[in-house]
Amino acid sequence: MAIEKFTYDNKLAKSFAVVTILWGVVGFLVGLIAALAILWPSVSMEMPFLTFGRVRPLHTNAAIFAFVGNAIFTGVYYSLPRLLKTPIYSKILGWLHFWGWQLIIVLAAVSLLAGITTGKEYAELEWPIDILIAAVWVIFGWNMIATILNRRTRHIYVAIWFYLATFVTVAVLHIVNSFELPVSLFKSYPLYAGVQDALVQWWYGHNAVAFFLTTPILGLMYYFVPKAANRPIYSYKLSIIHFWALIFIYIWAGPHHLLYSSTPDWAQALGVVFSIALIAPSWGGMINGLLTLRGAWDKVRQDPVLKMFVVGVTAYGMSTFEGPLLSLKSVNAISHFTDWTIAHVHIGTLGWNGMLTFGMLYWLFPRFYKVKLYSTSLANTHFWLATLGMLFFAIPLYFAGFTQALMWKQFTPEGYLKYTNFLETYTQIRTMHLLRAFGGVMYLTGAVLMVINLIKTAQAGKFARYEEDQAASRESGNHGAETFHRRLERKPVTFTILALVAILIGGIVEFLPMFLIKSNIPTIASVKPYTPLELEGRDIYIREGCYNCHSQMIRPFRSEVERYGEYSKAGENVYDHPFQWGSRRTGPDLAREGVKGKMYKPDSWHYEHFVNPQKTNIQSIMPPYPWLASNDIDVDKIPAKLRAMKKLGVPYSDAEIENAVSALQKQAQGIAEGLRQSGIEVEDQREIIALIAYMQRLGTDIGKASASGMTSK
Amino acid sequence: MTTDEISKNKDQEQYEIDTLTNDRLIKDHEYDGIKELDNDLPPWWKWLFYISIAFGIIYLVRLWVFQSEDLYQVQEYQKDMEEAASIVTKPAADFEIKVLDDPASLANGKDTYDKICQVCHLIDGGGLVGPNFTDNYWIHGNTMEDMYQIVTDGVIEKGMIPYKDQLSPTQRLEVLSYIIKDLHGTTPANPKAPQGEELEWPY
Ligand code: HEC
Ligand code: HEC
Repeated sequence: MAIEKFTYDNKLAKSFAVVTILWGVVGFLVGLIAALAILWPSVSMEMPFLTFGRVRPLHTNAAIFAFVGNAIFTGVYYSLPRLLKTPIYSKILGWLHFWGWQLIIVLAAVSLLAGITTGKEYAELEWPIDILIAAVWVIFGWNMIATILNRRTRHIYVAIWFYLATFVTVAVLHIVNSFELPVSLFKSYPLYAGVQDALVQWWYGHNAVAFFLTTPILGLMYYFVPKAANRPIYSYKLSIIHFWALIFIYIWAGPHHLLYSSTPDWAQALGVVFSIALIAPSWGGMINGLLTLRGAWDKVRQDPVLKMFVVGVTAYGMSTFEGPLLSLKSVNAISHFTDWTIAHVHIGTLGWNGMLTFGMLYWLFPRFYKVKLYSTSLANTHFWLATLGMLFFAIPLYFAGFTQALMWKQFTPEGYLKYTNFLETYTQIRTMHLLRAFGGVMYLTGAVLMVINLIKTAQAGKFARYEEDQAASRESGNHGAETFHRRLERKPVTFTILALVAILIGGIVEFLPMFLIKSNIPTIASVKPYTPLELEGRDIYIREGCYNCHSQMIRPFRSEVERYGEYSKAGENVYDHPFQWGSRRTGPDLAREGVKGKMYKPDSWHYEHFVNPQKTNIQSIMPPYPWLASNDIDVDKIPAKLRAMKKLGVPYSDAEIENAVSALQKQAQGIAEGLRQSGIEVEDQREIIALIAYMQRLGTDIGKASASGMTSK
Repeated sequence: MTTDEISKNKDQEQYEIDTLTNDRLIKDHEYDGIKELDNDLPPWWKWLFYISIAFGIIYLVRLWVFQSEDLYQVQEYQKDMEEAASIVTKPAADFEIKVLDDPASLANGKDTYDKICQVCHLIDGGGLVGPNFTDNYWIHGNTMEDMYQIVTDGVIEKGMIPYKDQLSPTQRLEVLSYIIKDLHGTTPANPKAPQGEELEWPY
């Protein structure tokens, strides 16, 4: 058993730490801009890239993939070599990973603000960036697995189980959800449509939370909490049980994002029961984190790092209890489409992800620079600002969500909706949004204090790039009596394959019936593909990110049917690549906007409203879109778009594709003519015409059904 | 195996103890200085897990085997609608279409107007997509009866929504009274060009 000497190179981990901080501050700042843009649409100054619909995806992507993503890589590149007693397999791969990921972030920021988006939440990036993400992710995984295979330790520690599960699952999620057919360099349509797209998307969305914001962070927790507290892990057995239970069960729970939508009842039910079953496995992680601190509580009181870990892990426990609660249909009927969801995710992100990351950074920097932290009291101030900021953020939003949901559902004794005007239900919660923004300012201020503190720390010391370590080489052969799992911990490849199997089961069981059994999406004969002009309008809708404020899914509730019209049917969205059901109703649902019923607005109203929503109601918080009235439709791309749709199964005939441009022009001319008659000066080829055409098409198809055409039960 | 060897094996199986908690550490579990304790799963945690799984099984059995109504959303919806139909009260029998001029009704009317009607007729009644209410030109007549009929049944093709499902008869009277009593005859900022024919004002 020869003792071998080797060196760790801290440069990569440190670089990831630096960009974590950078993108963290950017992500929080963009979040604040989004919060202000909701409060005052004038914040966007009529500049397309500052409107809420474009800023919000940038905020979510920056917070998740830039801030938390880089934090994960920081932790992995720091902990992995030490846990395995071997340097990272390849520095070149490491740096390719680093620069590749930063390139992705920059491309994401530019393209999202430019309106280049797939319109699928948390997967907005277009296909070239998707390919880049897949490539960089493979580089990351390759480097990680090769390092593991090079290890000197016999077994792999629980943190690494989580890293491996993260790697395989994110790869599967990203690839499956990104199947899309490119139309041009900047535009693609997803392979799936309507209910199927929704199911895949929320399988992805939910598990992005699970396998990007949870499992890797649990891995970091399992390394940094015991290190910082200098305490043993509370229970190895719990680690095993909660790890496998968590990854197996998590993957099934996606449909809880689709409760009361037109997704079949059985799929929703799976979403409910697997979400409830997630409480214990999630809490297993929390218990193992918190109880590891037994015997170190006196340290917790003094050390800002441990304090942050405690609040972070507690926030994890809170949000993983709340999540299952929100998955109960009766609770979801109230919470869904409201700020409740937003409060919920921010307990997870600001609390769990943020606090764990901050704690890790405060622990790492003094070790990188071989000095003490510049100021413990500044770090304590950050701790309080972050904790209170999170509460100031979340508590008003809980209140707002509840209030607005009740207002949506309230009837007068005569049986009319009490709050007929949607905007009224927003105006009521506006103060809460002010408080939320204030909470955001606190949180951001805390992060800025951290930047100062860490810069000062770095300046006071000298970066210790290389660290020596030594360990015995790994011997093969007799391992004595071992439990099954212990043996597995010696076989990282088998381990990874088993994890892959565990996460594939849920997805397969849910997807196959949805794709293969027709009765899950009953056909509605009168539902027809969009006209070229409407399709173009739909693409503008996606580009402007209208789905960030508007849902297109009327749930089967009396209050929604009274407000918006007939509830949405699965068969209505079969040509919707991508689906646009949305997740938050900051504005009213638009699923029946075109139906000449309760929501109907004439073309001229839409024109006035898009150009200046505050003209039709001074209190409106929808941003003005004046450029739609001066931009021209890109007619050249129309035939390619229809052809792509046809390949995806939308039944356009060859003649329709051939005559697409003239059909578009004819329909546009009709609408523009009508507008001119109502005294609006507008030219036929403007984008606004296409968007109006799309609005007027929304939800109208089932009305055209003869009784025989409808196959709903 | 000699007795010596046996006692040596025993020693190896001896657990190390974590002094702060008196819990057993697992032998050979050490990664970069991190050790692991041999604690069992907390019983309450196990029960939590069992119960949550039992919940799931019962839920799915109710769905698939017993087809419980409350788990099928369309049935749930239909039940809701039937219930709603039975509790809704009908408008008073002595309801009469007339202009209301008490301050409370006019205030209610303004409230409705500002929330709903202004988006098309503008806040000062000057008209945008819908016609101007301040002038003497009317498309569908200028009596309360004429207007009540328009607000109730709408002119959907032209963009005026029927409000019979959204506003109660009294609310309709209130909002029209507000238009008649308070908005008509005022001077809006940007009056829309006259629509319809000029009629003598009856109120
Ligand atoms: C910041 C959130 C926000 C964004 C982004 C947004 N809207 Fe709105 N929208 C609202 C709100 C709030 C209302 C209700 C007040 C009003 O009518 O302006 C509304 C109303 C509407 C209405 C009127 C619904 C009705 O019949 O009462 C339409 C149509 C609409 N929006 C379309 C769009 C389109 C298309 C886009 C993208 C180009 C968009 N919205 C972007 C918030 C938003
Ligand atoms: C979506 C836009 C819209 C909304 C909202 C709206 N209206 Fe109208 N309204 C119109 C249009 C357009 C006309 C003209 C119809 C026509 O040309 O026949 C009209 C006509 C009318 C008329 C008849 C005017 C005349 O000259 O004969 C009355 C009365 C009226 N509206 C009352 C209301 C009231 C009260 C509300 C609120 C409860 C309301 N409207 C809300 C669009 C709207």
